[in-house]
Amino acid sequence: MRRGRYIKPLPAFVLAGLIMVYASYRLPRLLPGDFVSALYASSPVTLTADQEAQIRAYYTRGEGFSRYLLNLFTLKWGYSYTFLAPISALILEALPWSLLLMGGAHVISMLFGFIAGVEAAWRRGGYVERAGVGCMTVLEGIPEIGTGVILLVVFALSLGWFPASGAETAYAAFSPLARVWDAAKHLALPLATLVLAYFPGNFLLTRGSMVMVLREQFVETARAKGLHPARVRYAHAARNALLPMVTRFGLRIAFMVTGALVVETIYAYPGLGTLLFNAISMRDVPLIQGIVLFSSLMVLFVNLALEYVYGWIDPRVGYAA
Amino acid sequence: MQRRIHHALGGDPWFVTGAGLGVFLLLLVLLGPCLAPHEPYDMSFIPLSPPSAGHWLGVNDGGMDIFSELLYGMRNTVEFGLAAGLVSLVLGVVIGLAAAWFGGVLDHVTMRLADILLAIPAVMILILIAALFRPSPLALALTLSIMLWPTTAKGIRAQALVVKNRLHIHAAGQMGASGAYIIVRHLLPELFPLYLIGFAAKARMAMFMEASLAFLGLFDPSRKSLGIMISYALKYYYLDIWWNWLLPPVFLLSLLIMTVTFLAISLEKVFDPRLKGAV
Repeated sequence: MRRGRYIKPLPAFVLAGLIMVYASYRLPRLLPGDFVSALYASSPVTLTADQEAQIRAYYTRGEGFSRYLLNLFTLKWGYSYTFLAPISALILEALPWSLLLMGGAHVISMLFGFIAGVEAAWRRGGYVERAGVGCMTVLEGIPEIGTGVILLVVFALSLGWFPASGAETAYAAFSPLARVWDAAKHLALPLATLVLAYFPGNFLLTRGSMVMVLREQFVETARAKGLHPARVRYAHAARNALLPMVTRFGLRIAFMVTGALVVETIYAYPGLGTLLFNAISMRDVPLIQGIVLFSSLMVLFVNLALEYVYGWIDPRVGYAA
Repeated sequence: MQRRIHHALGGDPWFVTGAGLGVFLLLLVLLGPCLAPHEPYDMSFIPLSPPSAGHWLGVNDGGMDIFSELLYGMRNTVEFGLAAGLVSLVLGVVIGLAAAWFGGVLDHVTMRLADILLAIPAVMILILIAALFRPSPLALALTLSIMLWPTTAKGIRAQALVVKNRLHIHAAGQMGASGAYIIVRHLLPELFPLYLIGFAAKARMAMFMEASLAFLGLFDPSRKSLGIMISYALKYYYLDIWWNWLLPPVFLLSLLIMTVTFLAISLEKVFDPRLKGAV
C-alpha cells in the first residue's frame, strides 16, 4: 500500500516526459520542403552557407530517437546561431534568474496567501474580510500583462523608483552587498507583479476550504477543550485546509508559466522567458525547441513532486487511490 | 431546480457584475466593425499623431487608427477564447460521458490519457507548434482545446458516475429505454451546470493564452490583437503614448479577463456541490 503510493503517479509522468521529448524530436522533421531556408528567410539573422549546411545537417541527420535521448542527457542540445553559443549554456545561464523570480514569487504568495486565507475564514462575515475577498476576486481577474505594464509605467517610468529592465546594473563594479541591493531593486517589480498574480488564487482557495473545515466537529471539540484560538486555527484546522492549494497547483501551473514568460519579457528580466522571447523574435528554432523542452520537463518534475507532497499532507490519498 | 439556479445566480453580485460586463463586451465584439471609425488595416494616417476628433485614441507607428485596432483586436481574442472553450467543452463532455457510461478499457485508456495531458504544460506545446508551423489562430485554438479537455472530462465523468447509479436512471433502463436515450434525455441535461463551469474556465484560460502568446510574438505580426498592440506600444514607452496607445489595450484586456473570471468563479461557487455553503 505505502509503496504503491510512490509508484502510482510515475507512469503518467514518465510517458508525458517521453511524449514531450518525442514531439520535440519529431515535429521539426515533419516540416515540408527546405524548411531551414524558409525558417531563416524571415529571421534577422543571416547565415553563412557553412552554418546553414550545419543546421540542415542537424535536422536531417538520420539519428534515431534513442540517440536523441542520449544527447539530451549529455547536454548536447544544439547550437544557437543567433547568440553564437551552445543552447545548453544559454539555458543554464538564464535558469538561476527564472528560479529566483518564480521561486520567490511562489514562496511569498503561498505563505502569505495561506495565512491571510486562514485569518479571513476565521473572521468570516466582517467588513474587512468581505472587502478583502472582493479585492482579491478583482485581482484574480487581472492578467499579468495588465499588472506588469501598469506597475512598469507607474513605478519605473513615471516615478523612477525602480529600474525598468534587466536583473543587474550592467558593467557596475559594486561591493558584494551593494550588488545584492542592486539585484533586489531590479527584482522588485517583476516579483511584485507575479505575487499580485499568484496571491489572490492562494488566498481564495485557502479561505474557501478553511470555511468548510471550520464547520467540522473536531474544530468544535478543540475549541471546547479551551485551546488557544490560534492553536485551534493553525494546529488543528489549517492543516486540513492546506490540501486544495497543493492539489490545484498542478492545474494552475499552465497559467503561472504563461504569466511568468510575459512578466520576464515586460521587464526584460534575463531569465528563460526573455530568452524564449528573444529566440522567438529571432526565429531561432533550435533554441525555442531547447527552452520549450527544458521548461516542460521542469514543470513535469514539479508536478510529480507535488503528487508526493499531496500524499504526505493527506495520508488518506494513498489509501483511497 | 431551474428556479433555484436563477435565484442563486441572480443573488450573486459577482455573477451580476460579470454578466453585465459580458453583455457590454459582447456588444462591442459583435458591433465592432460598425463602431470602428476606420478600417483597422488602413495605413494612410500620420503615424504617432495624438488623439483628435477623427482618431479618438490617435494613430500608431504604422499609421493605423488605434481605436479601430482595439475593437478588431478584442474580436480576435474573444473569438479565440470562445472557439477553444467550445471545442474543449465538447471533447470533454463526449469523452467524460463515454468513459463513465461504457467503463472498462475505454474508461481506463481515456483517463490515463487525461493524466498524461494534464501533466504537460499546454503553453509549451503551443509555443513549439506556433514557432515551427505558424498555424492559423483557429488551428492553434484547436490545438489548445486538445490540451484542455482533461479537467472537463474528469469532472463530467465523476458526476455522470453518480447520476448513472440514481434510481430514476435504473427505472428508465427497466422500462426499456436504450442507452442512447438515457444519455441524451437524462444524463446530458442533468450535467448542464458542469458545462457552464467548464466552458467559462476554459474560455478564460484560452483568452489569457491568446493575449500572452500574441504579446510574445507567436502570431502573424500583422494580426490585430490586444497582446500585439501592447507589445508594439511598449517599444515606444519613451514617447507620450501611454494614455492613448499603451493603456487602452491593457485596460480592455484586463476587463475582458476579469469579466470571464467573475463568471467562472460565481458559476463554480453556485453549482459545485463540494463548495456548497463555502461562501
